[in-house]
Amino acid sequence: MLTPPRPEIMEALTAVFREVLDEPALTLREDTTADDVASWDSLNHIDLIVAVERKFKVKFTTREIASLRNVGELATLIQQKPAAQH
Amino acid sequence: MDYQALLRESKALDTTGASRSLKLALLSDAAAQRMEPLLRTLFACRDADARIYTAPFGNIELEVCNSESGLYQFQPDAIAILNAIQSLRADFSCRKGNAAAFVEETVNRIVRIWEAIRSRTSASIIQSNFVLPYERCFGNFDHKVSESFYAAVMNLNSRIAEAAKQHPGVFINDVESIASWIGRRNWFDERLWDMAKSFCSHEHLPAVARNIVDITLAAQGQVVKCVVLDLDNTLWGGVIGDDGLEHIQLSSHGDGEAFYRLQCYLRELHRRGVLLAVCSKNDLRNALLPFEKHPEMVLKREDITVFAANWDDKAENIRKIRETLNIGFDSMVFLDDNPFERDLVRELVPGVIVPELPSDSADYVRAICELNLFETTSFSAEDVRRTELYQQEYKRREKAAGYASVEAFLESLDMRIGVERFDQFHLPRIAQLIQRSNQFNLTTRRITEAECESLMKDSRWIPLYATLSDRLGDHGLISVVIMEKRDETLAIHTWLMSCRVLARGVEQFLMNTVFEEAKRLGLDQVSGEYIRTAKNEMVREFFRQFGFSLTEEKDGHTRWALRVGEYSPSKTFLRAVSDVESAVTV
Repeated sequence: MLTPPRPEIMEALTAVFREVLDEPALTLREDTTADDVASWDSLNHIDLIVAVERKFKVKFTTREIASLRNVGELATLIQQKPAAQH
Repeated sequence: MDYQALLRESKALDTTGASRSLKLALLSDAAAQRMEPLLRTLFACRDADARIYTAPFGNIELEVCNSESGLYQFQPDAIAILNAIQSLRADFSCRKGNAAAFVEETVNRIVRIWEAIRSRTSASIIQSNFVLPYERCFGNFDHKVSESFYAAVMNLNSRIAEAAKQHPGVFINDVESIASWIGRRNWFDERLWDMAKSFCSHEHLPAVARNIVDITLAAQGQVVKCVVLDLDNTLWGGVIGDDGLEHIQLSSHGDGEAFYRLQCYLRELHRRGVLLAVCSKNDLRNALLPFEKHPEMVLKREDITVFAANWDDKAENIRKIRETLNIGFDSMVFLDDNPFERDLVRELVPGVIVPELPSDSADYVRAICELNLFETTSFSAEDVRRTELYQQEYKRREKAAGYASVEAFLESLDMRIGVERFDQFHLPRIAQLIQRSNQFNLTTRRITEAECESLMKDSRWIPLYATLSDRLGDHGLISVVIMEKRDETLAIHTWLMSCRVLARGVEQFLMNTVFEEAKRLGLDQVSGEYIRTAKNEMVREFFRQFGFSLTEEKDGHTRWALRVGEYSPSKTFLRAVSDVESAVTV
């Protein structure tokens, strides 16, 4: 079983998403997916991942990025990553 | 602005009233959608309203060979072609013949694309070169093996450049130089290519877009024609008027090398046809001295088309330079180490390009080069002779134009002046200023720190210093005025000021203070002296401008007097504050 993502991670993720997607009122839930947010298209997806990596000083593999299904999984992934690995 | 900021900006661009509008088409064998908002924003930053057409990904040949394609319907002014090394790598790996044949085929394919475009439109063509790959299959030996991918790409880049020379209207977008400046290990992000066919890490896309903007605008005639140069602490280290020829820093090695390097760079620009002008607060004689006498000066007097060295404000001088050369303000770059002058020119002469200069002169050339200010799309024999042509022109005309208000700028500076009697705390700086000031120094009496101290205790003497700060920063202690009560007269014994704060009203403010003091003490008149030296020509007529009458003249030593009731205070934009307040840095 994976440990549930910490609220701080969700909060930081919300800030990153709001900035990259330019949607100041956006709220993220654990089960939010790209389908729920109109501006979260494939182009923005790349920018989101890169911004998240920079924010948390982590680096995801291509496979990890491809397998993400919702925001909760992204938060879990961040928790599992040792910081500043690159 | 970074990548994300530019993207955000692109959503709320207002380009109404932009000085030009243009259409740019983008063709690429990588995904280039992200370039569109970046390009629009960067064009807007250069006062251009741009519409961008992005051809479908990977469709270069189909777009250029079909007269009915979206590309031609768009009727672009310029067409940028971006080729990714990632696409080339796949082609290289599938090659049938040897690497030389591959290079040949690739160049031919690229040239066919140019020719297909040229047969249908006269739009400028902006062709990227290839970023060198990180694979070095033979190691360093790659350079000696034409079969290596690395060697093939180097070869290809030089062949593309050669071909571009044969094709007017085709310009090279040197993406390889951007990637090498950034560093290839940071440039590439293979994950982004695999997932989205992005040819580099997105944070570097603005640099690619800026190259395209620079080339497009240069092709439309938006080029820098003249660099206007400050002298002291820009072209050499130190202040020629104070330090003298022997003590300014300028040398091909050691201390003055930073300035030498800048001069070498400017000399190359000059050889290229960029005009050089001088705009310096100096006596003309002093300003010319290094050009005529300093053995390490790279730039010579004849390299300078217009030489403005005087005590007028720089905005005014730049207007005169522009008028003389008959060029646009937006084709001028102004280089000055002093943030005050840079701000003044930015505010009073909009259009002039005023780069920030780093505080360390060692980084001047690097900082200027990073801005890529001197993009051009042509070079001719005419360019080499340009300085000569303009100098002839300059000799025919020498008149000033009307100028906008310096007063408004001074007012906006929010200048605060503190005027205080000497105190122990400030004595070292006071003594230092007294020893060093040469130009704005009426009597050049080198009073020592000990003598200052005794003046402080003598009730006949009124020794004052002034501090200045404004919204740009704190200038510290910048002026000293020492007065002596003699019967019914207040005699000005010493008056000096740092030249960095000239033309801001400091001397006018202090003269007001002097007369207030005389009135307060119930004295009848104020007297002053000017003692000529080799360096203080600029204040020879100092007292006359305040209405003083000449009372005595002998060997360059003049005496002046003005009755207290006859003085009319000058208007200034300085606000008086106590010393403590003015010393706080904003």
